[in-house]
Amino acid sequence: MLLLSIPKLSEMITQLGLVTLLSAFSLLLIIGLLTISKLIGSSCIIYFSAGQRLQRRLLFILTKQQQLKQLFYFKKEQIHYVTEHTRKRLLVADNRQQIKTLSTAISNDLKSLKHQLPRNHFLQLQKENIQCREQQDIEALIQLQQKIATIHYT
Amino acid sequence: MTTIKNWALALLKSFHALKDENLLWEQNNQEQRTRLKHTQILAAKTLQAQLKKKSVILEHELTLLRTSNDAKVAMLKTKCKQDIKDYKEYLNSLETLKNSIQNSFDHLPEAVAFTIHHHAKQLLNQMWETDNFEHKIHHELQLIKFMTTIHEDTHRHLEEGTSSESIPEKTLRLIQNKPTF
Repeated sequence: MLLLSIPKLSEMITQLGLVTLLSAFSLLLIIGLLTISKLIGSSCIIYFSAGQRLQRRLLFILTKQQQLKQLFYFKKEQIHYVTEHTRKRLLVADNRQQIKTLSTAISNDLKSLKHQLPRNHFLQLQKENIQCREQQDIEALIQLQQKIATIHYT
Repeated sequence: MTTIKNWALALLKSFHALKDENLLWEQNNQEQRTRLKHTQILAAKTLQAQLKKKSVILEHELTLLRTSNDAKVAMLKTKCKQDIKDYKEYLNSLETLKNSIQNSFDHLPEAVAFTIHHHAKQLLNQMWETDNFEHKIHHELQLIKFMTTIHEDTHRHLEEGTSSESIPEKTLRLIQNKPTF
């Protein structure tokens, strides 16, 4: 370069190269940004277009229908469960009342038989009565009452 | 220098030729392009109309479903309330029945009255707990038959004035011959 007596040519070429590179990168960046903006814009237009909005609305209604069906099923199950629970509570209350009445009757029968029975046998029967009442076992209580009735009649 | 100029001219010529060709193609296909664009817009409009129509139908169905579900739930609630009331009444009537047996048959051991009551309650629960309609009817008939028999026994006892030692035979026979289902 010195021979050609252009001393600043190399510097100028370097500067030119740098400017060209920078311009190329800037151009690339601008193109990229423009492409992204264009894509975002077109996506927004598609998203808010009438067709897409209607499709979303349809999907919403279908989901709502499904939800209503599920809700109805669970409501039904809940009502059945509550009804069954109430019925069982009534049954338990009635059983308890019957057991109490029967146990009192057995206790009275036993008292009337107290002098006819050996002490141990009497105590055993009384114990059985209390045990059955505590266990809420109506069938065992009925059997006990039958046993006592047999003793009473013999 | 002339060579470079020639090359540049040739390049420009070919570029112009390409542009001409493109213009010609566009001119030739202009009508078809317009037609296609028109068809596309028309198809989009038709699809929108269809979607709108479907959405209106579905919305109407949704309203119907909501109303029908509400009505069904209300009906089920009423039915279940009635069921509970019926069950309570059944229990009360069984209690009354037990008392009437005890009052009618003075010397009847307490155990027998309770056995009758217990059996009736078992029948009632069997009827209530089964899901099968036929079985339900069968158990209901059994319960009705059982209660009728008790009534007959007590009625006969009171009418005929039979000995105070007598027992509700028919009812006890029914308990002994307890059918299995």
